[in-house]
This record gives sequence, C-alpha cells and structure tokens, in this order.
Amino acid sequence: MAPVRLVIDGHPIEGEPGTSLLQAWVAAGLPLTENVGCMGQGVCGACRVLVRRPGERLAQTGLACETLVEDGMQVAFINLSRRSRPHPYDLHALGDSWDAIGRIDELFPEAKRCRHCGGCDSACPKGIEVQQMVHLAAVGQTYAAAELFDDCVQCNLCVAACPEHIDPAHLGQLVRRMTASMTLRPSDLIMRLHEIEAGEQPIDLDAPGALPPSSSIENEPVQGTGDQR
Amino acid sequence: MSAGIAYDQARTAWRRAAPANARALDLPVTELLTGFHPDRKRGTRSKLMIGPNAGQKAPIALARLLQSDSLLQDVDIAGAPTLEADVLVIGGGGAGCIAALTAARAGARVLVATKLGLGDSNTVMAEGGIQAAVGADDSLQRHFEDTLRAGHFSADKELVAALVSGGPSAIRWLIREGMSFDLAEGSQRMGGTLRRKTPGGATAARLLSFRDFTGLELMRAVREATLLQSSITILERHPALELLSDDRGRCAGAVLHDLARGQAVVARSAATVLTTGGSGRLHLAGFPTSNHYGATADGLVLAYRLGALLRDIDSFQYHPTGIAWPAPLEGQLISEAARSAGAFLVNGLGQRFVDELQPRDIVASAILREIAEGRAAVRDDKVGVFLDTPSLERARPGILGRDLVTLRHLAGRAGFDPAEEPFLVRPTLHYQNGGVQINVAGHTTVPGLLAAGEVTGGLHGNNRMMGNALLELVVFGRRAGASAAADARRDRPRNIGLTHLADWRRAMEGHRLPLDRKAPLLFPPYGNFDPVRDRRRGA
Ligand SMILES: Cc1cc2nc3c(=O)[nH]c(=O)nc-3n(C[C@H](O)[C@H](O)[C@H](O)COP(=O)(O)OP(=O)(O)OC[C@H]3O[C@@H](n4cnc5c(N)ncnc54)[C@H](O)[C@@H]3O)c2cc1C
Ligand code: SF4
Ligand code: SF4
Ligand code: FES
Repeated sequence: MAPVRLVIDGHPIEGEPGTSLLQAWVAAGLPLTENVGCMGQGVCGACRVLVRRPGERLAQTGLACETLVEDGMQVAFINLSRRSRPHPYDLHALGDSWDAIGRIDELFPEAKRCRHCGGCDSACPKGIEVQQMVHLAAVGQTYAAAELFDDCVQCNLCVAACPEHIDPAHLGQLVRRMTASMTLRPSDLIMRLHEIEAGEQPIDLDAPGALPPSSSIENEPVQGTGDQR
Repeated sequence: MSAGIAYDQARTAWRRAAPANARALDLPVTELLTGFHPDRKRGTRSKLMIGPNAGQKAPIALARLLQSDSLLQDVDIAGAPTLEADVLVIGGGGAGCIAALTAARAGARVLVATKLGLGDSNTVMAEGGIQAAVGADDSLQRHFEDTLRAGHFSADKELVAALVSGGPSAIRWLIREGMSFDLAEGSQRMGGTLRRKTPGGATAARLLSFRDFTGLELMRAVREATLLQSSITILERHPALELLSDDRGRCAGAVLHDLARGQAVVARSAATVLTTGGSGRLHLAGFPTSNHYGATADGLVLAYRLGALLRDIDSFQYHPTGIAWPAPLEGQLISEAARSAGAFLVNGLGQRFVDELQPRDIVASAILREIAEGRAAVRDDKVGVFLDTPSLERARPGILGRDLVTLRHLAGRAGFDPAEEPFLVRPTLHYQNGGVQINVAGHTTVPGLLAAGEVTGGLHGNNRMMGNALLELVVFGRRAGASAAADARRDRPRNIGLTHLADWRRAMEGHRLPLDRKAPLLFPPYGNFDPVRDRRRGA
C-alpha cells in the first residue's frame, strides 16, 4: 500500500497505512520522549493530539496511539500538564459519608455553574458523558456520577476544554475515590483481616507444600503457573 | 522471520477443521522448554564479567547494558542545579507512587522523579487483577504455597510470606485510597463479598479485579493521592541517569536528566527508592512486548553499577498470546481470559498442538515450536498461530460481546470481527521475573538504596503468578516507603558524588569492556533519542 502523507507538529511525514500517529512519528525518525506511555493500549492518556482531517472544519481531539494515519491529516500534540490540582482535598479528612457529599460543592464550587456547552463531551476520546457526570456530582448523586467515569484515562482533555474551570477529570476522581473509600466494605476481606490480627492465619515456611517435591520439578508440569493478563 | 504456511492456505485449513480436535503436546515438557523457551535457548545469554553478579548469566542485551559505562562524567554535574529531599523515589508507576505516599505520610519530604508522566507505566496497563487471599475457602498459607510452586520453588520464602500476609491489608489500603473492586454477583457494597477469579496455578479463587482494567483503576486512585499530597514534589520527564554515592559507598540520591531543558539535575537524598519497573522494551531476542514505552531496565543498570546484587535476571515471562498481526498492534496482550473461556490455539495446518490451559511457559514454548518448525501461519511477514475465537463464539454464543470486551475492542482496532476471523498470536515479552535483590524491609544490598515493584527480584522465582505483580507493588511499595522514611531520620550521606564510577571504569577496562557503551537506555532505540547529545543542547 502506498504511504499516506500527513503533518505532525509541523513535520511532513509519510506513514504506513494502518499505523498509529505515534508509530508514524517514530518511524519518521523523530524523537519520542513525551506524550507517550502505554504506546498503544489507549489506557494511560498521555498521547493527546488535535487532529484536523481534510475537508473538516473543526479539529478533533484524540489519542495518538489509537488514531491511525490518514492522508492529509494535520496533527498537533497537546502538551498540557496533568499534574496540577487546583481543587485540593484530603480524602481522609472529608468527614463521614453524611458530610462528604455536601463538601463536593465546597471543593468544586464551579461544578454547579456548568453552562452545558458540551466542550468536555466532544473533547473526550473515550466517549464519556462528562457533562452528565458533572451534573450528577453537583447534585450529590455521587455513585451514579462515579460510574460514568469508569473508563476515564485521565487524559485531562475535558479539563482543558472546560471554560468554567470545573476540572471534570479531577471531580470525577473525587467522586470515584469517595464512593469507594466510604462505601465499599466487603465482609470476606474484613473477616480475613480480623483473623490475621488475631494471629489465626500463621504461615508455616516449612510446610510440606512449601518444599519442592523430591522428584525433578522440571518434568512435572506445574499447574497453571501462567500470568493471565 | 522463519518460514511458515501462507495465510490463505492456513486459514482454509483452520476453517475446514474448526473446531479442531484436542491434541496433547507430543514432546516431553523438559525437551519443549529447553528447546524452545527463550530463557533456555542456547547462545542467547552471556556471562557477566564485572559487578556483584560476575560469573552469572544474563540475556545478551541485558548483560551489555549492565556492563556499560555511565552517561555522566564529573564535569557534567559540576554546577548543575541541586535539589534536596529526605526520600528520593525514582519511577512514578504504582510502586513509586505508593512508596512516595507512605514515606510522605511518615513525615519525610519526598521527591518523585519519573521518566514520562506520573502514572505512565506498566501499572496502568494491568488488566486481570490483583491477588489477595480473602475467601473463606482460602488462606495465607495457600497463597504462599501456590506462589512458591508457580515459581518452581526458587523464590525467596521470607519475601513471599511478607507478600501474601500483606495481601488483605493491601486491598484495604487501596480501598481507603479510593480504588474500587468488583463485587460478587448480587453482592452489596457493605457486607457483601468481593468478586474472586482463579488465577492460573492457584488452589482457590483469589484474583480481585476491577472490570478488565484493574491497573488503570489502581493507578488513577494512587496517582490522585500522590498529586494531592503536599509534602511530595513531582518531577516528570526527569529520568535518572546515575545514582549518587557518598564516601562510604552509600547511595545518596541520583543525577536526573531534565528532558525539557536538556540538563542534568542533582537530586540529593538521605534514602533513595528505586521503582523503575521492568524491561520489556529491550525486546530480548527480538520479541515484541506488552510493556509501556519506558520499560528499558534502567533501574537494574543504575543499581548494579552502584554495587547492588541482582537475582534471577535470566528469567523473563513471555505471555503466550501477544498479537502477531497486524504489525501496528504487534506484542499487545490478548488476555488469557480467552483461553480460560475455551478458545483453542490452532497451527497453520488446522491442528491444535498443546493443552491451552497448561502453564504459561509451556504454552508459549509450544507456540514458539510451531513457529520454529514451520507450522505457523504467515501473514504480511508476520508469523503466528490462530487463537480460534470464532469456534469459541459458536460454542458459547454471545461470549465475545459479554465477557471478552477488551478482546473485541482489540479486534476492532485490527479491523476484523473476532466472531468470524481468528486472531494471529505469538508470545510477547511481558514481565521481568528477577531484578534487584531486596529484603522484607525493601532494602537492597547497598546502604541507602531501597527498591520495590517489578525492578526487584526474589518474589516470583523463575515464574510469576498472575495478580502477584500488582500485589507486590502495593505491599513492597508501602514497606520500602516506610523504611526509607525511617532511614532518612537516622543517617545522612556525606561527601556526595560519583565516586563509585572510578572503580567501575577500572573494572570495565580490566575486562576490556568498551567504555563507549553507555547506559541506561532511557528510551528504546527506535525512540530516536540520545541523552548525551541532548545534554549538549542544554549546555
Ligand atoms: C499489559 C500488562 C498487563 C498486566 N496485567 C497484570 C495483571 O493483571 N496483574 C498483575 O499482577 N500484574 C500485571 N502486569 C504486571 C504489572 O502491571 C507490573 O509488573 C507492575 O505494574 C509494575 O509496577 P512498577 O511500579 O514496579 O513499575 P511501572 O508501573 O512500570 O512503573 C515504573 C515507572 O518508572 C519509570 N521509569 C523507568 N525508568 C526510569 C528512570 N530511569 N528514571 C525515572 N523513572 C523511570 C517508568 O517510566 C514507569 O513510569 C501487567 C503488565 C502489563 C504490561
Ligand atoms: S473524562 Fe476527561 S480525563 Fe477522562 S478520558 Fe474523558 S476527556 Fe480524558
Ligand atoms: S466543558 Fe465545562 S461548562 Fe462545558 S459542559 Fe463540560 S463541564 Fe459544563
Ligand atoms: S500512549 Fe497511552 S494512551 Fe496513548
């Protein structure tokens, strides 16, 4: 197949069809030391780009490791820091679950001022209903809000897109962390922790099962030692 | 690539036979492993000549890095900006964030230096889950024995005991930081039970998860906690180039490379925790990898040069089912859930060749044997065997849409429908089983240097069980962070510099090792980056 021509950060590049923008960038001999993490799994959110396709008026945000090269594309990496947290909080000092929901407004006062511009929704490369999450969080429906952010990769594109400085990505993390830390109380885990504290789960380093079988280990297919994922 | 069967012909054979009949391995396991497992292959390892592990073997590419010269000379750090911390954490993945949080909460001033962005790591990529023995039918002892057996009884027992007994409290810690876990079907959030799956090699259901992106959920929670902790300073795009030493041979921090400025930065610390993760991007023996872009064994190189003992560094995990075709997705992981659910592996002749549920090293070797002996399929120069998802869908209608969502997503990106077309797979370099030797407190053999996570060795022996890597980074991240904070209160390094390099260079010269070979790599060669030239840019 003939290579496609595109421009990334001002560099005219020829890319193999079927390769991602990141792959085309390194294949063109350009240095890659930032805007990359997982390099293809689409899960770290580091490789944000703005892509304009020929004939399209508006540029679209995306992830460079998941976006394939196309003829005539104009691409720019979006270099925004994901480090700053303008809405600081201490998860362990939010009080109990009665207080905590009320404190969302204190910590993220801008959330109730969402102007429903939809900027966050169209910026999100994962198709998350960001605006809806902001709404649910603002009215205290924390669990429903948290669930909407299950697939968020913390790329912060919604943060950059929001004219009201709501910081949806960080608000989403707050409600997720809050619901987990305040409502998840599995009985099996708790019972096991009690047993351990009571000394009822000792480990015997020299139990028969902790010693190699006398026969050659090599010949014995050890049961399913595989890592699964 | 080796010869094989043309794709169209292989596909016809697959289609004609599907579903192919079971066929057991027709070679004794020992012969299979010695003949085809990449760890055992002749001519792929070399003996280390210098350093604390001299006389032991390592894969050639790794041995070369371990016996390289520093990227730095004394002049490079003269006048460099200097930072001070009680605890320096090198590497901002799961282990690094957790060590940093723990040290900071114990009162230490912490500096985290990482190569990419915070959290851009192997941790965020983990899918399957994390082990912890919480079930009533399970026990710490079972987890202990299962882990030892999986590692062919070569793991360090004390470390494994610490790992498994820290499991339940690690899960509680993660929940407190705001990580979610799946609950058993119909279970309530309070007083319900966790969803548990059985990892390969386990005698009880012990794998806890969040959907099929457990690592993302873990990383999101601990990264947020780290960013919100006021006594932690974070330096992104600051890979470590060399550890600092003091006049007693103690670790005293590190020299970092500021990638934005092309400049060396000196970070002095009373205690240093190495959490740089693994080495999949070395592409040992030409293998593709499932690892993130920054997994280049830097931590092993840094620790070794300062005199830290390593262990099991000739042992790597090759995951059987990496994507072989199409090229752009090569190496990416197809979770073993597909095989657990009943997907077969089929060669280019339409035949199965191994029990798919055998241990990982056996299945991977069996695939490599099909490839080596010309029975694999070749498509656009890419060689692999079929993962028969269409027959699975026919046997269990709806399973691809319901349970194997990530797999379907991958097929979508490859441009085919997994209910109609099988995947082409081959083993992918997945995990570094060995690494820097530590004790239960997280100390390496070099005073002042601690380590946690994939960069360490001893917990898995020669083979890691799934779910134990995520557990390790939590349990030992916490242990190393706590020890580092305590150590920093006791002792401070003095007369800090690169004193260890003089001896190192003498040893290299003594063995006629080329001094123009520099390490750590920082980025894979195809990343088109040369740190020495970059520093000249900044000068
Ligand atoms: C695709 C995939 C799926 C997996 N699935 C599972 C699973 O289901 N269960 C399980 O238990 N395990 C799984 N694993 C393994 C597990 O994810 C890793 O072993 C573990 O997350 C390693 O954590 P870490 O913190 O030690 O290293 P990492 O998370 O890799 O973090 C290391 C960090 O250090 C940085 N770094 C590297 N060099 C330098 C340097 N010179 N200076 C500064 N920083 C540096 C890296 O860029 C990175 O950010 C999986 C791994 C992969 C790749
Ligand atoms: S919700 Fe925001 S941070 Fe999350 S993936 Fe979408 S744009 Fe990125
Ligand atoms: S971008 Fe901000 S203001 Fe606009 S809809 Fe989203 S949250 Fe509301
Ligand atoms: S590199 Fe991780 S999402 Fe693209």
